[in-house]
Amino acid sequence: MDYIILSVTILAIGIVGLVTKHDLIKMLIAIEMITAAATMNFVVFGSLMENPLGQAFSILALSVDACVTAVALALAISVFKKLNIRDVRELSEIKEELPQEENRTVEEN
Amino acid sequence: MWFETVLAIGMVTSAVFAIYLKETVSSVLSLSTMMILLSMLYFSLNAPFAAIFQLALGTGTAAIFLLAGDTLTKKSDAKTSTKTKFVGLIASAILSVPVIVGTVATQTVTRSFDLSLSSALWDLRAIDVLAQGLVVLTAALGVVILLKEERRQK
Repeated sequence: MDYIILSVTILAIGIVGLVTKHDLIKMLIAIEMITAAATMNFVVFGSLMENPLGQAFSILALSVDACVTAVALALAISVFKKLNIRDVRELSEIKEELPQEENRTVEEN
Repeated sequence: MWFETVLAIGMVTSAVFAIYLKETVSSVLSLSTMMILLSMLYFSLNAPFAAIFQLALGTGTAAIFLLAGDTLTKKSDAKTSTKTKFVGLIASAILSVPVIVGTVATQTVTRSFDLSLSSALWDLRAIDVLAQGLVVLTAALGVVILLKEERRQK
């Protein structure tokens, strides 16, 4: 068994999920999967080369990943509570429907 | 060897189901299973610190995702049929084959580094650790501002 193929498979599943799903939570789950696949390489190569830097890098990467997830989830909850929308396509439609003046304000923000 | 193979198959299957299932809570549970299996894989690779960190973060992430999934789920959301689950199982079985059978020719230089994890983290990557603390603080501040803004508008 090769860990690189496992990592690439999980990365591919995550990318497919990110492209095909339009639900905000599902997209976040896909992002989480992609980062897990990337972090796995640090640990695997660090372990193969008997270098503890791999573990150190994986710990750093996991912390940043948790921050990304927290901020993205806060944004998703905020959007859902304000607009009652979970679908990314509906969000794009709303942006297109906004009057020109409001649209500019949204872009500025 | 068989232990790692079982872990790999379990990881691929749970990853497929995390994306494939329509119910958010089931997806989050599948993601949590994948995180636990990944942590076990780290243990088998002699990386206990990364494994424990992954397990702790996986638990936190799963809890947050479950809460968010419960908050954001509408009652009218569709449910996954048995046929769809079966198709997902077949897809994960097909995806597991290259993981078990395939090999990639890699050249790894095996030399022992006289370095412990703590010295690697605190001596070699000290600036990274400090910068990471800043990132965590900024993220926490961002989340607080986002949620406070929402309350103020209410």
